[in-house]
Amino acid sequence: MAAGAFGIKPPRRLERATSARLRIFTMVVVALLLSTVVWTRLAYWQVLRHGQLAQQAAAQYREVVELPAIRGAIFDRHLTQLVVNTTVYSAFVSPDQVPVAQRHQVATALSSVLGVNQNAVMETLASGSKFAYILRRFSKEKADQLRAMKLQGVGLEEEQQRSYLPGISSTSTLAANLLGFVTYDGQGQYGIEAQYQKSLAGTPGYISSYRDLANREIVLGSHTHQDPVQGSDLVTSLDANIQYAAEQALANGVKKARAESGSVLIMDPKTGGIVAWADYPSYSANNFNRTPTAMFKDNVLSYVYEPGSVMKVVTLSGAMDAGAIKPNTVIDDPGALYIGGYRISDWDGRNHGKITYTYVLEHSLNVGAMKAMQAEGHKKFYGYLQSFGLTRPSGIDVAGENSVAPPSASTMADSQYATTAFGQGIDVNMVQMLSAINVVANGGKYAPPHVVERIGNRINPVMLQPQRQVISAKTAKQMTAMMQAVVQYGSGWTARVHGFENDQTGKTGTSQIPIKGKYTQNVWASYVGFLPADHPRFTMIVVIRKPNVPGADQDWTLNDGYFTAAPVWQKIAQAMVVSWHITPDRK
Amino acid sequence: MAAADRLHLNAFGHAYLGLGAVVICVLFYLALAAQITQASYDIARLQDQQRQLVAEQDQLQYQEVTRHAPAEVQRAAAQSGMDRTTPTKFVVPQPVAINLQAPIGAAPTDSTPLWQRMVAAVVDRVVGAHDVMAATR
Repeated sequence: MAAGAFGIKPPRRLERATSARLRIFTMVVVALLLSTVVWTRLAYWQVLRHGQLAQQAAAQYREVVELPAIRGAIFDRHLTQLVVNTTVYSAFVSPDQVPVAQRHQVATALSSVLGVNQNAVMETLASGSKFAYILRRFSKEKADQLRAMKLQGVGLEEEQQRSYLPGISSTSTLAANLLGFVTYDGQGQYGIEAQYQKSLAGTPGYISSYRDLANREIVLGSHTHQDPVQGSDLVTSLDANIQYAAEQALANGVKKARAESGSVLIMDPKTGGIVAWADYPSYSANNFNRTPTAMFKDNVLSYVYEPGSVMKVVTLSGAMDAGAIKPNTVIDDPGALYIGGYRISDWDGRNHGKITYTYVLEHSLNVGAMKAMQAEGHKKFYGYLQSFGLTRPSGIDVAGENSVAPPSASTMADSQYATTAFGQGIDVNMVQMLSAINVVANGGKYAPPHVVERIGNRINPVMLQPQRQVISAKTAKQMTAMMQAVVQYGSGWTARVHGFENDQTGKTGTSQIPIKGKYTQNVWASYVGFLPADHPRFTMIVVIRKPNVPGADQDWTLNDGYFTAAPVWQKIAQAMVVSWHITPDRK
Repeated sequence: MAAADRLHLNAFGHAYLGLGAVVICVLFYLALAAQITQASYDIARLQDQQRQLVAEQDQLQYQEVTRHAPAEVQRAAAQSGMDRTTPTKFVVPQPVAINLQAPIGAAPTDSTPLWQRMVAAVVDRVVGAHDVMAATR
């Protein structure tokens, strides 16, 4: 049969070959597709998800343990340690690890050692959860007892805690408002702990090691290790004994005056270092977690007040330094002045006639202070406010400073200039005020206030700065003599320290507290002074807030600084004279 | 001649020898690893002990610091009946026994013989005056 009879016939061999090629091609394509899927999946797991999987694998056998840095200690000027790091323990359970038969035994043991509620522990154990704390932060004695019991499913966790020195009562620790405290996660809160958080805390290190199946560390296995950088110790200018004496005297003074609160600040006149910083009421930094937040407020630095007649020291010093007045310049004090449409009077409203500026300070007369300011002029007066550091924050190295800047010189009304001259209408904190008065004690130079003198091996840079001259040494000497007269003949008589009657300075201050722009009968009473007069060893300010001395409703002067703050000053000064072996220059 | 040839080992012998060497190595490695692991656990135990000792040391330090704290010192003093009270009386300063206002009298007389003073004057001029105390120690 001829091929042509059935039309075109494909050659059989060629057909087979084409079919085979097609099959092979198809198979190759399918194989390629399948392998692409496999390779893609492989690439997905090994390339894209590599990091995550490697992490998961490492988590099973590697462990990174943080090596906490030891927080630096805080010392006083005699290297008495004010705070110590201690180890406390927290107990936890893994309820799923405690057999049902042993739950009661475990709950009873935990309850007897830790004093926790047994039923609550039973409930936790019955929950079947993986982890639960039973009690946090208890002593080593309890931890040792618990460890000896070897309870199944119960573990102990070590934690660091700051322990502060005891204060004047069981509810307070020494210098709590100045030092602040450290939270359980190592963050310094308030005071020095907050201000020097970075220096004190250091930098934690870590150790990355292997664990076996029983979750025990294989110490000699391959591991990476980074040592922690320990926190720096701080040496402060505080004196723990004086601090304690100040806290005691202040507490007694506040209770006696039935006041809302009180504060004491003592400074080394030459350096500006703070010797004592006391607040009452205070709190226990060891129990900060059970203390109302309002108690943490430090009234020395965060409470602004109108300083009252203490300000006259600044006003008269400035006026004398400017050459506008002299201590024996005679003025006429009719008892009141009309300034800016207001009648501003002396505290007694009496006509004092011809008096000197020394008399003005002795008897704390507002008219005299206003006249000194007028003699000096607004511009110069404002300039001295700036030089004495009363128009900007003190910059002290303690967290939480509050200050209120006065209006600019050009926008201040005449009446405000007048009231500022005797300490009303201007807001300051105690650090600002004491630093300003300290200018007189320090021969006319402003010593920057500070608490910390050394950070590790470094000296606080503030101490190395040159002190600026605010008033001349001669003016400072004249003001010192005027402030001595306040103690000898004027309102400072209640602050006289036996043996130093002729060798101490002082100035009382009482200012009414404004509420919604109106002055009330509540007052801030204060007293400031230094001793001995010619070679001062300390400058101290005492502020009593809202005193309510019995009988003050009849005689409001009983709430005055001379009756409430000055006796506290006297008690503390007496303790300092004994403790620091201070002798008078003159009898 | 190789050691294997001297022992007349066939192919299996070589294989056994190799396997034996490998087994010895594995056993040695396991023994070493076990020892390292044991040492590792010992170190972990000692570290735990050290942590406890450090905790105890911290606690003792706090006790010591607290004992010297002003509050504790005052409490201890009060318990011993040593309360500090504000002195009501001060010691009166004694008058100075020397009368500083008295007129200055005549200069004290020198009992050194005249010839010694003359010799000293000559010697001092030649060698220079010197302090006899300077030579003493």
